[in-house]
Amino acid sequence: MSNKSVLDVLTHSPGTSIGVFLVAIHLLSALFGFLFVPYGPTELAGVSLLAPGSPGFSLGTDVIGRDYLTRLVLGGRTSIFVAMLGVMIAVVSGGLIGVSAAYIGGFYDDVIMRLVDIKLSIPGILFVALCVVGFGRSIPVLTIVIAINYMPGALRIIRSQAMTQVPLDYVKSARLRGDSKLSVIVRELCPNVLEVVVVEFAIRTSSAILAVSALSFLGLGISPPTPDWGLMVYEGIQQIYFAPWLVLFPAFLISTLVIGLNFATDGLANALGLDAARGLD
Amino acid sequence: MLIAILRRVGLSLIIICLVAVLVFLATEVLPGDALDVFLTSDDLMTMEAEDIEALRHEYGLDKPAVERFWQWFSGVVVGDFGVTFIDKTPVSDVIWDPLLNSLLLATVITLIAIPVALAIGILTGYYRGRKADSMVSSLAIIGYSIPDFVIGTLLIMFFAVWIPIFPALILVFADASVLELLKVSLMPAVTVIIGHVAHLSRLLRVGFIEAMNCEFVERARLSGIPEKRIVFRHALPASVIPSLNSMALFIGNLLSGLIVIEKVFGYPGLGLQLLEAVDKREVHVVQAVTFLGAVLVIGMNLLADLAIIILDPRVRSHKHE
Repeated sequence: MSNKSVLDVLTHSPGTSIGVFLVAIHLLSALFGFLFVPYGPTELAGVSLLAPGSPGFSLGTDVIGRDYLTRLVLGGRTSIFVAMLGVMIAVVSGGLIGVSAAYIGGFYDDVIMRLVDIKLSIPGILFVALCVVGFGRSIPVLTIVIAINYMPGALRIIRSQAMTQVPLDYVKSARLRGDSKLSVIVRELCPNVLEVVVVEFAIRTSSAILAVSALSFLGLGISPPTPDWGLMVYEGIQQIYFAPWLVLFPAFLISTLVIGLNFATDGLANALGLDAARGLD
Repeated sequence: MLIAILRRVGLSLIIICLVAVLVFLATEVLPGDALDVFLTSDDLMTMEAEDIEALRHEYGLDKPAVERFWQWFSGVVVGDFGVTFIDKTPVSDVIWDPLLNSLLLATVITLIAIPVALAIGILTGYYRGRKADSMVSSLAIIGYSIPDFVIGTLLIMFFAVWIPIFPALILVFADASVLELLKVSLMPAVTVIIGHVAHLSRLLRVGFIEAMNCEFVERARLSGIPEKRIVFRHALPASVIPSLNSMALFIGNLLSGLIVIEKVFGYPGLGLQLLEAVDKREVHVVQAVTFLGAVLVIGMNLLADLAIIILDPRVRSHKHE
């Protein structure tokens, strides 16, 4: 990012600007929305299934009479929080392990990479189902499962970036002046893979938000009565004939959030000269 | 070449074994055992300690974990995944029909998605940098950003509620005939295709561009071979090789990707069976499905790698070193 200002990155292309704008709105609403909502998220405030535009309920009510505007505003923050925290743990721990594997190499590297292979061959959603059966359904379990799920992929990418740094002179000279392994990894290598780590965090967060909402839709993620867009789409399907807005509003919100994240990430990766178009694993 | 193939197959078998260990560990050892998972807290309150011990003995759960793993894994090798807790039917019977249904749906999707993605990949790769190219890449981002369950639900809203030409919910039993299943697989297939074809075409486009940049394409052009022939006879076959891994990844992940789709449409596949098993806490069914899902991913990757070893002379000779 050395010769580009933050503003340049944020306005890299029209798509990037739109993405950043969408993400900003969603983050602000997730952070501060609770200050402005008219009712409590689980409060039975009105009659069941009021249409949008009813007095006192600008977006109507859901099937048991909770204010839909309130639930929509608060419906993103839990999954955003779980996804971001989980991916943060994944990228930081995966990054440290990946960099150390690249630097130390040998048997340690082999073992780590075989473990990565194993984990990558288990489809994420099946892994979550397995954990939900074993450990029950709760926010901490979900966060840890997301972290474990996204760690191997991030680890592999960050390791391969670190591999390009290990043979360089600054690493050699650090080793020759007698720095410990830990010091080389933390003080020399980590700062130089930071850009990749940031992009990995961005790419995987949007994927994790999709995953969490899909899991909630399936009944494996966030549980009722917590408002959540994935869950709300599922609950709305039962009323699809009489109250299609129950599906349309949360579907619109989750889609705009992830579209925004992906456009912003694409721009970020392009601006940093990295390739974001590769597939997720 | 034979050595390379054998080494690759061996590696896959080792990974499959290690996945089995992980799948077993995740539910059997860490949080108590399968019975603890299956019994709810109500059950535990109403049941005597001796009864629970008796049950534990009945299911062989009082044996050490290593022995149980061996028992489970030696069954898995011959397709025996144990029995369900509720009525003791073999797990393989429970998942057989849904597995076939899911594979049918996955086949339908693959047969449509890969050619379409290949066509888009070639077109956008050939005319890269033009408007249509950047439009497809934006569509790819939008496509994989919208959750599958949203695309599916919107399709239901359009084509079952507003213009009622399809049923909103698939009411077909797991043992329905192939013809019946094909009829109802259209909407689920379209959902996956809307969401993922543009993205897949991006991956295939990369391989095509690489092939078009090769020397042999330049030489063919200089010797006056018509452009159409260059694209289809020279560049396309060469581009398939680097794309094989992307295709394998797509197909390998279909089975698990279908879980959401099956839930949206009520398609009687493995995903729906899995969710039911999670609800009933049938540990053995969940284990079996997870294991099969991983085997499919490993198997598709293996097939792609083997195809590359056989088709690509460079890899073939390289492996001998």
